[in-house]
Amino acid sequence: MRTANNSEEQPMNRAKIMVVDDDPDLRHALSLRLRANHFDTVNVCDGYSAIAMAQKEKPHLIILDLGLPAGDGFVVLKNLRHHPALSVIPVIVLTARDPEGNEKRTREAGAVAFFQKPVDNEELLAAIRANLQAGWGWGEALPSKPS
Amino acid sequence: MTENGVASVLLIEDNQGDADLVRLRLVESKSDVHVNCVPRLSDALACLDLETPSLVLLDLNLPDSHGAETFRRIMQKAPNVPVVILSGQDDEALAIKAVHQGVQDYLVKGDITSKQLERALRYAVERQGLLRSLEITRKQQLEFKNQFLSHVSHELRTPLTCIHQYVTLLLDGLAGPMAADQTDHLRTVLKSVNQLHAMIRDLLEATRADSGKLRIDQRCIDIGELMQQAVAMMRPTAAEKHVGLQAAIGQTIPLVYADPGRTLEVLINLIDNAIKFTPPAGSVAVLASIVETDPTAVYLSVSDTGCGIPLDSLPLVFERLYQDPDSVDDRRTGLGLGLYIAKEIVTLHGGRMWAVSEPGSGSTFSFTLPLYSLAKLLLPVIAYQGRLREALVLVRVELTPLSKSPRGSWKETCQHCLELLRRCVYVDKDLVLPPAGSSGPDETFFVVASTDMARVSIMMDRINDQVGGLPQLKASATLRVTAEMIPSPPAADPSTLEQQVREVAASVNELVQLSKHNFTEKEN
Repeated sequence: MRTANNSEEQPMNRAKIMVVDDDPDLRHALSLRLRANHFDTVNVCDGYSAIAMAQKEKPHLIILDLGLPAGDGFVVLKNLRHHPALSVIPVIVLTARDPEGNEKRTREAGAVAFFQKPVDNEELLAAIRANLQAGWGWGEALPSKPS
Repeated sequence: MTENGVASVLLIEDNQGDADLVRLRLVESKSDVHVNCVPRLSDALACLDLETPSLVLLDLNLPDSHGAETFRRIMQKAPNVPVVILSGQDDEALAIKAVHQGVQDYLVKGDITSKQLERALRYAVERQGLLRSLEITRKQQLEFKNQFLSHVSHELRTPLTCIHQYVTLLLDGLAGPMAADQTDHLRTVLKSVNQLHAMIRDLLEATRADSGKLRIDQRCIDIGELMQQAVAMMRPTAAEKHVGLQAAIGQTIPLVYADPGRTLEVLINLIDNAIKFTPPAGSVAVLASIVETDPTAVYLSVSDTGCGIPLDSLPLVFERLYQDPDSVDDRRTGLGLGLYIAKEIVTLHGGRMWAVSEPGSGSTFSFTLPLYSLAKLLLPVIAYQGRLREALVLVRVELTPLSKSPRGSWKETCQHCLELLRRCVYVDKDLVLPPAGSSGPDETFFVVASTDMARVSIMMDRINDQVGGLPQLKASATLRVTAEMIPSPPAADPSTLEQQVREVAASVNELVQLSKHNFTEKEN
């Protein structure tokens, strides 16, 4: 059951989104917006923590920057694909870099969508919903039905 | 002499007497220069293929080439080798013309002393060296400028993104309710943020155009649909300024072969400009037509009833950073790169862009885009050494989504499949037909393969493996790959290759239409 303070307890049917970006202000703003749209969020700031946190938290979707310390976005994508449990998590790339070249490269590395910063929030939310509804990561990673 | 770089000379001279004289003068100057003498241009070109001499000494009138053509061919072949012309008394004027066009010097035959010759050769090499280093420096500076602009633009984007995020957070009420005037102020901030973002984007695009990195992805598009889309997107801007905005299509326009996103960008840029310079109650019209004298292109134009462009500024509007000197501040919302970028995009498509204007009563910006011609695309692929290839097969790749209304990223999945498909074929033997611009939920791609049925199965396996192996596709659609022979035009027919290609193109179009028709029937 949903409690007033739900930061500890995982409420049902709320998808968990991991935001990977090295800019703390941007991470904060993105999380605020995601939570306002009924998503739970986990924030990490570098490539190494991204993999560790993904293994621990099993997010339903990842928003990934490309320019990151300790393993850039491409390294993160590659590492995610190597873990059977993590390879099913849809990844949306959100970067200041040009789509040219990068978009194709990230898609080939397994990303489901590519957005350039600054992103239109509605477009980003639509892409998140589209990729969650598709069943990617839903079945395995969501907590079982409330008993 | 060698220390100054003249180690070997390629002497191109068909008159044995003149050739011997030049050799003699070279020896007199006590140089240990190596002279290679050839009588014809064709021999010279062959020599230049093998090695690069320090200098070319060139007679303009050779058995196989005359006049200006001779030095042009040499300079084309070896652009970095200095050329000194050996001219006769009667063609000195031509030699001077050659110097204007990049030849280093000329010597008049019969007048040549060994000292003069040595001096001419030495300085020709010196000057060529200087020119080359200037050119290299220029390229380096251009490259540096482009890298600098690209880097700065990217770095500016990061803080801009942050401002954008927080402003929209506040505006959307996610940080608590806002008073009306606070909302207004924030909207002004957001407008400026968006303007700044557009400027950075233009700066990057212009830099890309400068360094030849602007890319287009041409497809078959319905230009009428695209015009409507552009007009719909610009209607709010026009309405805000009380300017009428209409799109009109003169006649039935065949499919156009262009990048839909880029074309939309060009149209929006022109419409936006037109609205900006049109006073309230004026109007902007977007028109598409086919001109009889040029049946391979569609002519598009955006006309306004605005203030017009002074005649002397007209040639400048497509220049980078051009701003109308008389425009008031609120029109100056960009960097003055929009038209430059638009023209570059059109040029990349093989089209042209120009403007005409009647100061005081309006301007018309026009551009052309190529019409789609399957025959034109097929020619380099299905013809080989002046003949049609023996066997041609049409491969059909059908993607059918599992659910009736595919999810949002279906379009992207299709695009990704197309890219994979393009990598499954041989670039110079097979052609992936450009997909139609607007597609329904089912997507079918076609490949014309220059091979027979037996070998096409290898390609089909590859497609099934690579496209079918795409995780996004597996999760959302089924893949079906089929193939059929394309009937070849009668071999005994004495028709030209172009005619034959047109016939093949017609057969392909028929098969494509037929399979689309079958698909629709199956659906019903």
